[in-house]
Amino acid sequence: MKVGFIGLGIMGRPMALNLLKGGHEVTVWARRAESMAPLLEAGAQGGANAAAVAAACDVVFSMVADAADVEQVALGAGGVAEGARPGLIYVDMSTIAPAAVQSIAARMAERGVTMLDAPVSGGEVGAINAGLTIMVGGDEAAFEIVKPLFACMGKAATLIGASGAGQVAKACNQILTGVGVMAVAEAFNFARKSGVDAGKVREALLGGFAYSRILENHGQRMLDRNFKPGFKAWMHQKDMNIVMQEAHRLGLMLPSSAATAQLFNAMVGSGMGEDDSIAALKLLENLSGE
Amino acid sequence: MRVGFVGLGVMGLPMAGHLLAAGHELAVWARRPEAAASLVAAGACLCATPAELAERCEVVISVITASTDVEQLALGPGGLIEGFAPGGIHVDMSTIAPDTARQLAARYAEKGIGWLDAPVSGGELGAREATLAIMAGGAAEALERVRPLFACLGKTVVHIGPAGAGQVAKACNQMIMVNAIQACAEAMRLAGAHGVDPAKVREALMGGSAASKVLDVMGGRMARRDFAAGIQSRLHHKDFAILMEEARQLGAPLPVAAQTWQQLNALMALGGGRDDTASLLTVLEPFEGKIQ
Repeated sequence: MKVGFIGLGIMGRPMALNLLKGGHEVTVWARRAESMAPLLEAGAQGGANAAAVAAACDVVFSMVADAADVEQVALGAGGVAEGARPGLIYVDMSTIAPAAVQSIAARMAERGVTMLDAPVSGGEVGAINAGLTIMVGGDEAAFEIVKPLFACMGKAATLIGASGAGQVAKACNQILTGVGVMAVAEAFNFARKSGVDAGKVREALLGGFAYSRILENHGQRMLDRNFKPGFKAWMHQKDMNIVMQEAHRLGLMLPSSAATAQLFNAMVGSGMGEDDSIAALKLLENLSGE
Repeated sequence: MRVGFVGLGVMGLPMAGHLLAAGHELAVWARRPEAAASLVAAGACLCATPAELAERCEVVISVITASTDVEQLALGPGGLIEGFAPGGIHVDMSTIAPDTARQLAARYAEKGIGWLDAPVSGGELGAREATLAIMAGGAAEALERVRPLFACLGKTVVHIGPAGAGQVAKACNQMIMVNAIQACAEAMRLAGAHGVDPAKVREALMGGSAASKVLDVMGGRMARRDFAAGIQSRLHHKDFAILMEEARQLGAPLPVAAQTWQQLNALMALGGGRDDTASLLTVLEPFEGKIQ
C-alpha cells in the first residue's frame, strides 16, 4: 500500500520506519527538513508538503504536537485536503481533544477524505519496538483497510467507536497513567519519609492487588532515579489539560485528575517540564522535606 | 464627558444610570435596543452600531460576558475601533482573559486609541449603590482621564499595572472568593450533617477569626437556602476556566482552585448554572441520584 507519514519527531520517526520495514512504499514530510533525512536514507520518498504526500498515497498518517498542528496539516495551505484523491484515508495519531477531531473530520469528509483518530499509548519505546497500543475512532471500513498498517506500528489496534472515540480512550489512558504515576510517587515518598525502603515496598506490592505496570516500570525508574524522558512532564500536562477542558465542557467531576494536573503544573513551573513525568517524585520529596 | 455604554445587563444598567445622573452626556448601543429603553427615556442617545457610538464619544465603557464578545464589540464589523477618533478610550469592565485584554490594547494602540481593562468586584448590589471596587490595567494617563467616570461607579479604584493587569487582579479576586464560598459551603454542610443549625454556626463564626464577607453574605444565603442569583454560578464557572488555563500556561499550581473548579463542574451538571454560587452547598448534600 502507498503510505504517507507527516510529523517525524520522537514518535513519528520510528513509526514511519516500522512502516518501511513492513514493506510499504512510504512518502514522508516534516516541517524541518533534517527530520526527514533518516527516513530518506532508509528508502522513503520525500514529499514537498503534506498535499504532495496526500497526492501520492492511499493512506496518510500524521503525528504532530497539538490540535492547531493537526488542523494545519489537514486543512491548511499545502495540507492533506489540498492534495487528496477521493477515497483517501487520513489517520491522525496525535493526542488532541475529541471535539477537535470531530470538527476536523467533518470538514475532511466534505473534501472526500475519511479521517480516523488513532492516538497511541506506549511512548518512544513502544514506537521503536512496534509495541504501541492504538485506540481508533471513526469509520469501520476505513479501520479495516488501515489495520495491516497499524500492525506494523503496534501490537494492538482497537476500534473504540465513532470519530473522536479514539481520543476519548486516550484521555482515559492519560487519566489512569497520570493519576497512577502520582499514586506511585506518593506511596514511595510516604515510605521514604517513614524511614522504610521504597524498593522493598514495591517488591512486596507487585505480588498483590496494588500491582500495576506503572508500579512495576515507572516505580523501578523512580527507584533508579532515572528521570530522563520517556514521556515528558509538559506533555502529560498538555494531555491532562485536554481532560480538564472536556470535564469543564461536559459538566464532569474529576477531582483526582484535577489534583494530578496541578502537580504537573507545579513540575513545569519548577523547571521539570523536560523530565519524565515520574519526576513528580522529586517534586513531592521537595515539598515534604528531606 | 461624552460617554458611551455597551452591555445593559444587571450590572451595566445601573452603572450607565449613575453616569447619566451625574450629568454626563450618555450614548448607548445594545444588541436588543429594548434593553436601552429606560435610559433613552431618561435622556440617553441610542446608536445603531458600536462604530457610531465610538464616533460620538470620548470614552466607551463595556460590561459584557465573554472574551469573544469583547473582541467582537471592539474589532468586529461595525466595531468600536472603526469609530473612535485618535485619543478615544475603550474601558472594558467585563471579566475576560488577561491575554485578550493585552491583545486588544495593542490593536487599539496601533490607531492611537487608548484602552483600560477595569473589571469590578461588588456584584449587582455594588453596581446599584455605586460602591464597586475597580481594578484597572492600562496606561496611567488614560486612567486619569477616566477617573471622574469611575468616581460615579465605585468607591475604590486601584491602578494595578499595564493592560491585562486589571484582569489578573480580577482572576485573583474570583479565585479567592469562590474558594471561600466552597469553604463556607463545606462548613455549612458539616454543621448540617451533625444536625446542628448552620445559621447559628454562621452567626457565632461571624464574631471570630473566620469572619468574612463571603461567610456573611453567601453563608447567609446558604443558611436561608436562598439560591436565587445573586451571581449566577455559570459565570464563576466561566471565570474558573479562564484562570485555570492561564495557570497551566504559567506552570502555577492551584490545587485548591482545581478542586473548587470540579465542584462547579458538578453544579453545572446538576442544573444549578443559573442559581447563585451559594448553591455549591447542594453539591455536597446527599441527593436522590438518577443514576443508581
